[in-house]
Amino acid sequence: MANMSKLLVASGLVLVTGPLSLQVPAQDYVDVEAERRGRTTPSEPAAAAPGTTATDPYARPSEPYSAPASTDPYSVQPSQAYPATSYGLNNAPAGAAIAAPPVAAPAPASGGGQSMGTLYIQMQQLQQEVMRLNGIVEEQANEVRKLKSQSLERYVDLDKRVSAMGAGAVVASGDGSSSSAVPGPSAASATGQASEIPGEGDAYRGAYSLVRSQQFEQAVGAFQQFLRNYPDGKYAPNAHYWLGELYLVIDPSDLEASRQAFTLLLNQYPDNPKAPDAMYKLGKVQFLKGNREKSKEYLDRVISKYGSTNSSAVQLSRDFLAENF
Amino acid sequence: MKRLILAIVPLLFALAALGARAELTIEITQGMDNPTAIAVVPFAWQGPGTAPEDIAWVVDSDLARSGQFSPVSRSDMLGRPSTQNDIFYRDWRAIESEYLLIGRVSAQGTQMRIEYELYDVLRQKQAHKGVEVGSVNEARMLSHRVSDAIYQKLTGIRGAFATRLLYVSVTRVPGGKDYYRLTLADSDGARPIVLLESREPVMAPGWSPDGTQISYVSFESGRPAIYRQNLSTGAREQLTNFKGLNGAPAWSPDGNTMAMVLSKDGSPDIYLMNLMTKKLTRITRHYAIDTEPTWMPDGRSLMFTSDRGGRPQIYRYDLRTGTTERVTFEGGYNARARVAQDGRNVVLVHQQNGQFHIALLDLVTNRLQVLTSTQLDESPSIAPNGSMVLYGTKHAGRGILAAVSVDGGVKFRLPSRDGDVREPAWSPYMSR
Repeated sequence: MANMSKLLVASGLVLVTGPLSLQVPAQDYVDVEAERRGRTTPSEPAAAAPGTTATDPYARPSEPYSAPASTDPYSVQPSQAYPATSYGLNNAPAGAAIAAPPVAAPAPASGGGQSMGTLYIQMQQLQQEVMRLNGIVEEQANEVRKLKSQSLERYVDLDKRVSAMGAGAVVASGDGSSSSAVPGPSAASATGQASEIPGEGDAYRGAYSLVRSQQFEQAVGAFQQFLRNYPDGKYAPNAHYWLGELYLVIDPSDLEASRQAFTLLLNQYPDNPKAPDAMYKLGKVQFLKGNREKSKEYLDRVISKYGSTNSSAVQLSRDFLAENF
Repeated sequence: MKRLILAIVPLLFALAALGARAELTIEITQGMDNPTAIAVVPFAWQGPGTAPEDIAWVVDSDLARSGQFSPVSRSDMLGRPSTQNDIFYRDWRAIESEYLLIGRVSAQGTQMRIEYELYDVLRQKQAHKGVEVGSVNEARMLSHRVSDAIYQKLTGIRGAFATRLLYVSVTRVPGGKDYYRLTLADSDGARPIVLLESREPVMAPGWSPDGTQISYVSFESGRPAIYRQNLSTGAREQLTNFKGLNGAPAWSPDGNTMAMVLSKDGSPDIYLMNLMTKKLTRITRHYAIDTEPTWMPDGRSLMFTSDRGGRPQIYRYDLRTGTTERVTFEGGYNARARVAQDGRNVVLVHQQNGQFHIALLDLVTNRLQVLTSTQLDESPSIAPNGSMVLYGTKHAGRGILAAVSVDGGVKFRLPSRDGDVREPAWSPYMSR
C-alpha cells in the first residue's frame, strides 16, 4: 500500500510540473527543468521511506540500479523538509526538493497558498536560469583564458620570426590557414645540408609572394616549378611544406596531394625544423580524410617526439586532440 | 513494482550471503605490455609444522596485480633455492626471469621473521635484501611489506601493498530490509573485517590521514549522521546530528578538521568542523548543491562538486582567499574528485557519451583522460602512492570494485562473492 501511495505521489508530481514547463518558451529551459525533475523525482519515494531508497544528487538516469541500491543522504533531506503527505498533489514543484531553503518549504495546502506557490515556482525557475547562465559564463571565461594564452604564444612566435627576418634571412610568414609556425631561417641554418643555388632564392621568394597575395592556385604552380628546378635546393623543404599547406587551401582542396607533400618533407628532411609542423599537419589531413586513428597517431607522435621542445606544433596538436578526440 | 522485481533478482545470492563474509577476489583484466619477469620462489619455512601463510605467494600476487611484473609460474621453476649458495643463475636465465626473489621464514612464539633477497639474474648480483619482523597474525601484512620493498626497488615508486581498504557492501534481503556492511580489508581484499553492520544505509567511508581512524555516514539512528571510529580501540564518536543531510566527511591532511556536507541551513553546502572544539565553519553558501568535498594535499584548498553552473562540475575553494574557481570544463558531468598525494592528478567521475567513467585530470596541463571502459563507474579512490585508482562499477549486474592504473594501462577487478560492493576508500600509508 505504501508503494501505491508513492506511485501516486510521483505521478502527481509529474502532472503538476508538466504544465509548469509549458510556461517557459525557451527550449533549453525546458531541458533544464526536465533534468531537474529527473534528478529529484526519484528521491520522492525516499521521502516516504527514508533510507530504503535514494539516489545520487545528480541522478544518473541510465543507472537502472541506483534507485534502490545506492543510498545517498541527499534524498533524505526532502523527507525532513517536506513530508510526503503535504507534498503530494498540491502545487509544490518537484524541483523544489533539494535547492529550496527550508523557509520556503511549506507547500501551500490549498487555495490561499496559490500565489505563494506561484512565487515559489518562479523563484525556482529563476534560480535554475541563473545556474545555467552561470555555467555559460564560467565556460566562456575559460575559453577566453585559453585564447589569451594561445594568442600570446602566437605573438611570441611571430615576434621571433619577424626579428629573424630583420636579421636578413628569408622567412615565410603570415601563414593564412593556420597558426603553425612557417619555414623560418633556421631551415637553412639548422640543417646546413644545402646551400643556396644562384637564382634559387629569387624563385622561392617569387613563389612565396604568391602565397602572400593569396593567389594560391598560382602559388601551387610556382612551388611545383621551383621543386623541378631546385629539387635539392636550400628551400626545397620549405617548398614541400608550402605545397602541403596550399593543397589544403585551394578550392577544391587536394588532401592526398597535401598528405604526400608533408610525408615527403618528413621522410626526406626528418631533422628539418618544419618536421613537427608537418607531422601536426599530417594529423590534420588524416582527420580531414576521416582516418581518426591515423590522425591521432600523428598528433600523439608530435607530442611524444617534440613535447620537450618549444615547437608550437605540440600545443596545436594538444588542442586539436582535446577538441576532436 | 520496481521494488518487487529487484527483490526477486538478488534472491539467490542474498540467501547464500547471509552470514558469509564479503571477501573480494581478484581478476586481472589488463596488464602492461612489457612487464618485468620475476621469479618469486616459495620461501623456506624454518619453524615447527607448516608455515602459517605462503608469504611468497602473497608477494607474487601483489606484484602480478600491479601489472608491472609478470611472476614466473612455480611449475616452471627449475629449482627452489632459499639461500644465495643454492642459486644457479642459468636456471633462471633459461626461463627468462629477469629477477629472482628468495627468502626464509622463521617463527618464535607469536613472532615471525621474514628474510628475503632479491637477485638480478642477468648481472648475477644481489639487488636488495631485507628483513620483516612481526606478529604471526600479521603474516599477510608482513608479506605486503616485502612486496612494497621489492616494488620500490624495481620501479622507484613506493609500494602501496601494505595498505588497507574500506568498502560498503549491500546484501539484499527479499521482502525485508537490506543489510549494509562497512568492511575493512587488506589492499588485496583479503582478511575482511566487518566494522559495522546495519539494516540502514552506511556510506561515504573515509580515512584519517594517519590511517588510525575512519569516518563514515550511517543512518542507524533513522537519519544520516557522521561518525568517526578508532580502528585499534573501536571507540566511536557521533560527530553530527543535524536536521537534513549530514554527509561526505573528508579529513583534512593535518587530521584536525573535517569537511562535510550539511543542509541544516538550506541547500547542501560545505562546512568545516574543528574536530577538537566541534565548531563549524560554513565555507560555501549557494542555493545549488555543493557536495563531495576533498582536500588538496597541502590543506590550503578543497575541491568539491557543485551544480551552480547548471551541471555538476568540480570547483576549488581556496581557504586563504575564500575564492571559488571552476576546475573542470570538459563534458557535462564531472563529480566526486579525489586528489593524489602529488597534488597534481585528480581522479573523478566523468560522463562521456552518456556513460560514467573514471577520468584523470592533470591540474598542470588541464588535460582530462578517461581511464576506464566500464560503465556506471563511481567513487574513485586513489592509492597513497598515486599509482592505482580503485572505484566502484557494475559487472554482470552487480556492484563490484575495480582498479585501474593512473596511465590506464593496468586494470583488474575485485569481485565480491556476495552482495553489491561500492564506495571503496583506499587507506593512506600505514604507520608500523
